Amino acid sequence: MREISVKVFRFDPSCDTTPHLQNYLVSVKEGARVLHVLHAIHDEHDPSLSYRYCCGSGQCGSCAVKLNGQPVLACMEEARDEMIIEPLDLPIKKDLIVDMDPYLDRISSLVPGAEFRMPAPDEVEAIKPLRSCIECLACVSACPALKVIDFAGPAAMREDMRLSLDPRDTCDRVTEAVSEGLFTCTSCQSCWKVCPKNIEIPGKAIEKLRALANRKGLTLPRHEEVEKLVRETGRSVDRTGTTFLEQVPEILEPYGEVKATVGFFVGCMYNMRLPQTALDAMEVLRRNGIRVIIPKEQVCCGSPLIRTGQVEFLDTLKSRNINAYVFRNIDTVMTMCAGCGSTLKNDYQTPFKVMDINEVLLRYGIEPPARLPVKATYHDPCHLLRGQGIRTQPRELISKVVDLVEMPAICCGSGGGVRSGMPQEAAALGENRRNEIDKTGADLVISSCPFCEFHIKEHTDKPVKNVATVLLEGYREKDRRTAQKETC
Amino acid sequence: MLVYDARTNKMHSDAVDTAHVLVIGSGGAGVRAAIEAAGYGETMLVSKTLTGKGGCTTMAEGGYNAVLRETDACEIHYEDTLKGGAYLNDPDLVQILVHEAPQRIRDLLEWGAVFDVTDSCEVAQRPFGGQRFPRTCYAGDRTGHEMISTLVDRLHGTGVRIENEVTVISLLQEGQRVNGAIGLDRQGAIRVMLADATILATGGGTRIYDISTNSSSGTGDGYAIGYNASAELIDMEQIQFHPTGAVYPYDARGRLVTEAVRGEGGLLKNVEGERFMKRYDPERMELSTRDVVARAIATEILEGKGTKNGGVYLDVTHLPRSQIERRLPVMLEQFLKFGIDIRDVPMEVAPTAHHIMGGLRITTRGETTLPCLYACGEVSGGVHGANRLGGNALAETQVFGKRAGEAAGRVKEQKKAADQKMIEDAEQRICTFLQGEVPPSSIARSLQTTMWEGAGIFRNGPDLQKTLGIIRHLQTLHPKAASPANFAECCILQNMLTTASLVVRSALLRKESRGAHLRRDISQNWDPEHSPYGHTYLSLSREGIETRAVT
Repeated sequence: MREISVKVFRFDPSCDTTPHLQNYLVSVKEGARVLHVLHAIHDEHDPSLSYRYCCGSGQCGSCAVKLNGQPVLACMEEARDEMIIEPLDLPIKKDLIVDMDPYLDRISSLVPGAEFRMPAPDEVEAIKPLRSCIECLACVSACPALKVIDFAGPAAMREDMRLSLDPRDTCDRVTEAVSEGLFTCTSCQSCWKVCPKNIEIPGKAIEKLRALANRKGLTLPRHEEVEKLVRETGRSVDRTGTTFLEQVPEILEPYGEVKATVGFFVGCMYNMRLPQTALDAMEVLRRNGIRVIIPKEQVCCGSPLIRTGQVEFLDTLKSRNINAYVFRNIDTVMTMCAGCGSTLKNDYQTPFKVMDINEVLLRYGIEPPARLPVKATYHDPCHLLRGQGIRTQPRELISKVVDLVEMPAICCGSGGGVRSGMPQEAAALGENRRNEIDKTGADLVISSCPFCEFHIKEHTDKPVKNVATVLLEGYREKDRRTAQKETC
Repeated sequence: MLVYDARTNKMHSDAVDTAHVLVIGSGGAGVRAAIEAAGYGETMLVSKTLTGKGGCTTMAEGGYNAVLRETDACEIHYEDTLKGGAYLNDPDLVQILVHEAPQRIRDLLEWGAVFDVTDSCEVAQRPFGGQRFPRTCYAGDRTGHEMISTLVDRLHGTGVRIENEVTVISLLQEGQRVNGAIGLDRQGAIRVMLADATILATGGGTRIYDISTNSSSGTGDGYAIGYNASAELIDMEQIQFHPTGAVYPYDARGRLVTEAVRGEGGLLKNVEGERFMKRYDPERMELSTRDVVARAIATEILEGKGTKNGGVYLDVTHLPRSQIERRLPVMLEQFLKFGIDIRDVPMEVAPTAHHIMGGLRITTRGETTLPCLYACGEVSGGVHGANRLGGNALAETQVFGKRAGEAAGRVKEQKKAADQKMIEDAEQRICTFLQGEVPPSSIARSLQTTMWEGAGIFRNGPDLQKTLGIIRHLQTLHPKAASPANFAECCILQNMLTTASLVVRSALLRKESRGAHLRRDISQNWDPEHSPYGHTYLSLSREGIETRAVT
């Protein structure tokens, strides 16, 4: 037995005006789950605590709660000391019990036709990955989109995709999904990452439904324009000035000893909208012994097309990009755009290794920069944090230069074609970021994704900078201080 | 009509629901019954959990037995079931089960169920214990979840009224005839439900044991509610201990480790690495019937050949990793959560209380001994005899769910009026909980350990007598409700105590070893097929054991 301290959300709408967190000290056995802590509180301390549970083995989806902010199944997640247990982000009935009906009711049911046809083995195999959903609504709780716009939610999208794969269903699930908010998903991947059954809803349901919508001519006009642009120019944004690729030679040699050689995949945004940020990154790399090869024939990675379901032209982009590096015998390709990195890592099958710039810098080690007297917060790009599992590396780099204040990792609204296709939603999510940024009291916002940086700039009064730019500022300050010393 | 609301301490007039058919329970049997009944008139389904999430169907992993191939035959399924059930099954019910299981799985397929299929587009089947043909249909190891998802989908298309999180505490009667039920909502307010026909589909009750596979809803409510209304129950001593329950972590002990693990080739080994089943059933080995395997494992552990955590090994590490990943994904995921990768390390397992074979006595139409009360699924008795074959319970939910729904639907419409005295009695019952002294959870814990020790896998007369004495003492304690929201917990505790007493009384009545029921204090010179005994039976008015002519 061990004693742990937990905080539990308590709220009884029939008598409380506001919710509060209640502290409990409970004794639990080795290996106890969150649910067993709730049982212990209910049985030993306070029988008025209300919470739902049933199977106790992760199969019924009754007991999902937020543990330290993350949705989990109470019956499967190991209890920890100092944990905070809260209800899912759904209307609260009492304590940890939420009203699941509004979202369960939006999950479609199969409507069989007059004639029965047994699904073939390949159809069964296609459906199965979408079928293990236990409707715990962890995904709904985690979804940022449905908090600001009408959206049936990830669980409903999953079922729409499953039904559209099933020969027995007679309804048009694609049109239904579109009207239920298919295009509101920012592809932030939160739903997948919290899913206790690990169902890859964005890739296996939402993007697939968007591709089916494309065949029905239901793609949003703004997304069609992007696709046209990619076809015609190889780039997903239009030209507004001198691009990054026009400003650099094909090979950038480092200032000192060569520690490593990487191919650089710049991506449309850093190439054409934020070229200075990419130039800053090159400077940081050169200073740290990284030789950078920059094939000029590289094109858009295709992410804007995949996320919006317009995949016809995708293979052309893929082979052009892959060839650009293969021809130069490059074994490691570095990305600095979170979206490109996630796409190259997850949607491509590359003969070379793909690394994000944060990984590269930490892998080979960096010269220490000067510290700046700045309090900064870091915005986790969805495609870096959840798309590539990169959380600690940018923090480690930033902390070498500035004081870091954390804020919750929530989508800023710029991904999944939402910024172009659903601007109001993107703006609402951006405003949510503004609030979180303000709460930190930071003077500076740092991120590591051009979409996030570009979008958040419109939703905060604070400067927004890339990790590389902040590092470069640290180096410049260092140089200035060295120069000052030398003149003295 | 005026109804008391404990929360507001006032009488309310709007809390009466009426329907043609009232279904109590939202597992596989209840939902199937409701779907069927809806074809005959207004149907209401009341669930103490959220429909689709409660009950044990959603947790059922391994499969659904049905004769689907020309090389198999219903007659073989019938014989397997009788033999497995130690010839205590009601043969008529078994005939219905084996003949209708194929049609009922066809219903599920038509409604969208995604079972695993063979290359030739037939439902795939795997071998299960005690069966001479691999006739267990499956959807990976989440077969029950697949079924309940499909059933709830279908239910939504039928117009059945669903009342979630209302706990039924007693039946309403006019004389013997059942005409509805009394329930409690989450806040503890009384709900009166009137119906021409009522179906009990409340599932099982092995939560009365310390170690159990059941969900939190397996508290034996239906047995107790039926018994209190004077229905007759049979064979309540027949408790199936599933051979393989998880032993770690402690708080999650008893969690089901599906028979499909052995069906896929999993091996049982004691701590010495010996495949001990060769000493208990050399022919069928790991795929012997559950009663035999459970006793074998319990014996190994008692003889000191168990692991440190009190189990034996269940090993699949010799199987191809892809087979484990594809056929046993839930097992893989659950054990990974608890720090064990079953592809590399053997599981540790021990017996766990799983299924109550006994229950309300029913006819082939699901009629109980009370007019207008029907029962289906685990709450009913007779289908499985003294030991249930794995895969027969899911089939039973569908076959008898449909039959009960149909029979209830055909009941003639009647004038609906509640017996005020019964409502007042219910009010009185719940109000005393506010003056109670003992938390229901403490009483439940005492009961669970008592049952595990005194009425578990190995039984004897004196221990059963002692256990009954303890249950009777626990029944004299006054469970305490901290608030009206806790009324339901107190009622459920009383249901557990009633169910436990039925189990132990029946165990005392059956003075033989038969199937899952093993009396160590009694020696007998007959095999199950030639036992002179039939069902044990219990009701408010009589109890005993049937005898039968031995051929």
